[in-house]
Amino acid sequence: MLASINQRLGLLLFVVAAIYLYLSFQLPNYQYAPIDADVIPKGLGILLLILAVLLFFSRAVETEAEKKKRDIPKKEFGVLATVFGMIFLYILLFELVGFVIMTVLFIFFCSWFLGYRAWKTNVLVSLLFPIVMYAIFVFALGINLPRGILPL
Amino acid sequence: MDAFQGLLTGFQVALSLEGILFVLIGVIVGTLIGMMPGLGPISAIAIMIPITYGMDPAPALVMMAGVYYGAVFGGSTSSILLNAPGISGTVATSFDGYPMAQNGQAGKALAIAAIASFVGGTVSVVLLMLLAPALSSVAISFGPPAYFALMFMGLTAISSLSEGSTIKAMIAAVAGFMVVTIGIDPQTGTQRFTFGNVNLFDGFDFLIIALGLFAVAEVCILVLNRKNRSLSDDQKLGSLRLSKQDLKEMSGPVTRQSFVGFMLGVLPGAGATIASFISYIFEKRIAKNPEEFGKGSIKGIAAPESSNNAATSGAFVPLLSLGIPGSGTTAVMLGAFLVLGVQPGPLLMSDRPEIFWGIIASMYLGNIFLLILNLPLIPYLAKILSIPRPLLISLVIMFSLIGVYSISFNVFDLYMLLVFGALGFAMRIFSFPAPPFILAFILGGMMEQAFRQSMTISNGSLSIFVDTPLPLSLLLISLLSLVIPAFLKWRGNRLAAKQR
Repeated sequence: MLASINQRLGLLLFVVAAIYLYLSFQLPNYQYAPIDADVIPKGLGILLLILAVLLFFSRAVETEAEKKKRDIPKKEFGVLATVFGMIFLYILLFELVGFVIMTVLFIFFCSWFLGYRAWKTNVLVSLLFPIVMYAIFVFALGINLPRGILPL
Repeated sequence: MDAFQGLLTGFQVALSLEGILFVLIGVIVGTLIGMMPGLGPISAIAIMIPITYGMDPAPALVMMAGVYYGAVFGGSTSSILLNAPGISGTVATSFDGYPMAQNGQAGKALAIAAIASFVGGTVSVVLLMLLAPALSSVAISFGPPAYFALMFMGLTAISSLSEGSTIKAMIAAVAGFMVVTIGIDPQTGTQRFTFGNVNLFDGFDFLIIALGLFAVAEVCILVLNRKNRSLSDDQKLGSLRLSKQDLKEMSGPVTRQSFVGFMLGVLPGAGATIASFISYIFEKRIAKNPEEFGKGSIKGIAAPESSNNAATSGAFVPLLSLGIPGSGTTAVMLGAFLVLGVQPGPLLMSDRPEIFWGIIASMYLGNIFLLILNLPLIPYLAKILSIPRPLLISLVIMFSLIGVYSISFNVFDLYMLLVFGALGFAMRIFSFPAPPFILAFILGGMMEQAFRQSMTISNGSLSIFVDTPLPLSLLLISLLSLVIPAFLKWRGNRLAAKQR
């Protein structure tokens, strides 16, 4: 059993470094460069390998403040995962459905989910923000955002 | 062009209608985002970058600089009113600002912070104006080895000065450098770590990293803290007026710490946060009555506030004259320059004087605007702190998504934003500092290029880095900055063990 969090992190980073290093050694050669594209990656891989070992064996004790940062209730992870899920859905659908509609939905439901109950203000903000942003980006900056199923 | 003439050019930019408008927008946005607890200057700059697409570089960069020092200026408000620092550079301000506010003198604390910030900002702009051109003219002769050594020193400095474990900070820096190796190698055309994915050929845009690692990760922390109190409507600020006695008491610390802050800002790795802490401790050490510190001392607010603002302008010295950022925040500023097609460095002063001097001149103006915003208008501005957290979270997520989408119109980049957001959050909960990551990401490409150029010059011999005094001494300093703290810690541990 790995005792400290730093040992677990060190092991994980060691694996990451090893994979990265393995991939660096697979890089193709290019004859005419004095320093080829693989030199820096190899150096970085070795450096990370060393640092991971140092972290594994470092005797630094975790401070109370650091421990507190890690101590997150399971329920809160659920909340975070849901927010990430909502962002994922947004990304998945917004080119298809359109920026304005998806953003209205996202702001309203995300704020509601996180405990914002003043629904009148919420409706107002979730309607105004996308429309104003759309106007700024499309008409003032000339950056086209996906129109989606809306006619304008 | 001499400095005086240059400054005239600069004021032509800063005092044009466009210039004034964008300085104002920059400092207002900076102040507002800086006030929000949890959202730092890196997020503020990264969120604003998409707005600058298609703008003229000079007013755009004047605005971005305003966002940066505006955020440091505004960060003190939430430190004082909520004891929840808006940015890490104003943590030290809360030590005495919050107790003073608790005594019903919030207005006085805000006024001290605003005046100290103004003096710190203005003094350091004068110093910036004197030092940046001088450094530019020296740096023009630097070759690739010196540049490589300078950047290397920036990375080791930020790692050894980061909060917490140096090993973790170095891991963050190496990881940032690794991410930048993804994509097609510009020198040989070799595909590195792309797995044949077309979306990875050009590597990651720095905005994805900046918004993911900072804005999205900070939003995650905001989600966890969403129930923390925001400003209640009935909180009274009290009078903003300062007596002559108050002004006299703060004059000493403000003057001293403006210089201290500026110098620390110029050095790589330090920046506003470290400057504010050092200044706070400095003033406490030399104070006649140090027991007042922590209970609402005027000096305890004035010292960190003048210092952090002075450090902010100081950080522009290496950025403008060497083109090398010394901190995470200036790394993102460099990104903002590059997005607009401007390469800061020794040639900036002669090639683009309107930008070099425009930014410097605009800082005089920006500090005056900030003083007005943060003194008479602060009661109204502070209302932003009563924005409900859930709404703030949704809006910041939207800003980040729009920002990334508008650089590439590529949905793949949005998924990557989520990935780097999750990475940034993981780094925060496992105490890996994020600034070394972003600095290494920005410097990585430049470092690799400088390294290969040096090696080409020397025909593949590493001795080029130690043959001339400048790179050699820079590399030695970098090495010492890592070894000495580790040695002191090791000796401290041994002494402690012996005593036991």
